[in-house]
Amino acid sequence: MESGTISEVRGEEVTGCPVMHQDFSTTRKAGDYWDLANELRESCPHFYNKYSDGGYWVFTRHEAVNDIYKTPEIFSSESITPWEPNPIYRFVPTQVDAPDHIKYRRILNPWFSPKAMEAAAPMMRELCRGYIAPLVPKGECDFIEEFALLYPTAAFLNVIGVPVSYTEQFAQWVDMFFGGFGGDPAGAENMATALSEMRVFWTEQLAERKGKPPVDGDLFHYLLNSTFDDEPLDEEVLLDMCTVLTLAGLDTTRAELGYMFHHLALNPDDRKRLVAEPELAPLAVEEVLRYYTIIFGDGRKVTRDVEFHGVQLKKGDMVYALVSGANRDPRHWDRADEFVIDRKKNNHFGFASGPHRCLGMHLARREMAIAVQEWLAVVPDFELAADGQLAERGGGAMMALDRLPLRWKVPSS
Amino acid sequence: MKLQVNEACVGHGRCYSLAPQMLDSDDEGFVTIRGGDPIEVPQGLEQLADEVAGTCPESAITIIQD
Repeated sequence: MESGTISEVRGEEVTGCPVMHQDFSTTRKAGDYWDLANELRESCPHFYNKYSDGGYWVFTRHEAVNDIYKTPEIFSSESITPWEPNPIYRFVPTQVDAPDHIKYRRILNPWFSPKAMEAAAPMMRELCRGYIAPLVPKGECDFIEEFALLYPTAAFLNVIGVPVSYTEQFAQWVDMFFGGFGGDPAGAENMATALSEMRVFWTEQLAERKGKPPVDGDLFHYLLNSTFDDEPLDEEVLLDMCTVLTLAGLDTTRAELGYMFHHLALNPDDRKRLVAEPELAPLAVEEVLRYYTIIFGDGRKVTRDVEFHGVQLKKGDMVYALVSGANRDPRHWDRADEFVIDRKKNNHFGFASGPHRCLGMHLARREMAIAVQEWLAVVPDFELAADGQLAERGGGAMMALDRLPLRWKVPSS
Repeated sequence: MKLQVNEACVGHGRCYSLAPQMLDSDDEGFVTIRGGDPIEVPQGLEQLADEVAGTCPESAITIIQD
């Protein structure tokens, strides 16, 4: 661990709670953040992290994470990054609390519902095949660069009705934004630039659509024609919605796809099982989301003084629910530290929980299931071709492999 | 055996994807029996009903034994 072992940084206490100085924004060896989550969870149920200026409480175990998610009236989503209680962006509806939150979700939910995604599945499968086909005869690829960055972006843009030609521009903004989101001060400027460029882009896109007849399958026409308390959506709110849609739908699926294929490259038994039983893909995807949760933790702001799991929280305090700790907590899970490809009782928090559960979850899991089915249909055997250690981006911004070199035997045609 | 879904359902969709024989979703992705009357678990699907309850991150599903 770059920030020192836990025993080294202990020694102080805040109201009976251990204090640590953990930086969750640094790049580490692939898989390190889950090891860290395990270590933190087993060493203490909660601690105070003094790494950021203000400091925040970290709850490491399943029970407390569950309680944070289930009591949004105490744990507000006003800020979801505990190292930054007053961020320069506002995601709508992500950072909106009750009673307005559900009104926004009711506008967006149908667009990303399982039924809508079912209807989009043939398009996704077609796109997916299109990205895989040219790679097969090469016998190798960087899975992240040549597939995982492209396919979910294209699928997402299709679902919201933005031309696929914007893929690279979107990918760049996402990269710049997440460079600062996780708390790394060096990334703050890029994050601000990405936010303002996105705002300009969406202002133009919305202006182009205003007053024109709606186009089927265009989310932004749909939003322009949606109402909130019988009024059209406020311009600022529309832009805040567009921002989070741009950011949330691309990077996350890239990251989960990376970890899923990393796992399959290293675990031939699981791969063979999926080749033989492709219908298992949806269950395997859920287990990927539990075991390889890219959300290291989820931040919330405390709305009132309250005692919570033995900690006296004050109004305005920030808490960090260690989702990666909860998803492998042996107090909750049977075979917690084992990847069980057909796990059924899988009530993981990979898409968060409570009213703010991931809007794009049905899109993401379908993209992932299609990807694994389509890859294994043409490349049933592959392995890691890494010429060194793989690295993962800091958990504060959600973990992601920076690259994933894979190789396979070129099938004879 | 009966199965009931309370108002805590936020539309994760795990239950109806695991047991489409028993459960369906509405246009927003909520399970269709959310907050409604319990449904009878068809014979032979008792284990599946138990798994369905265990797959909900909101603990929104209750199994009622006869």
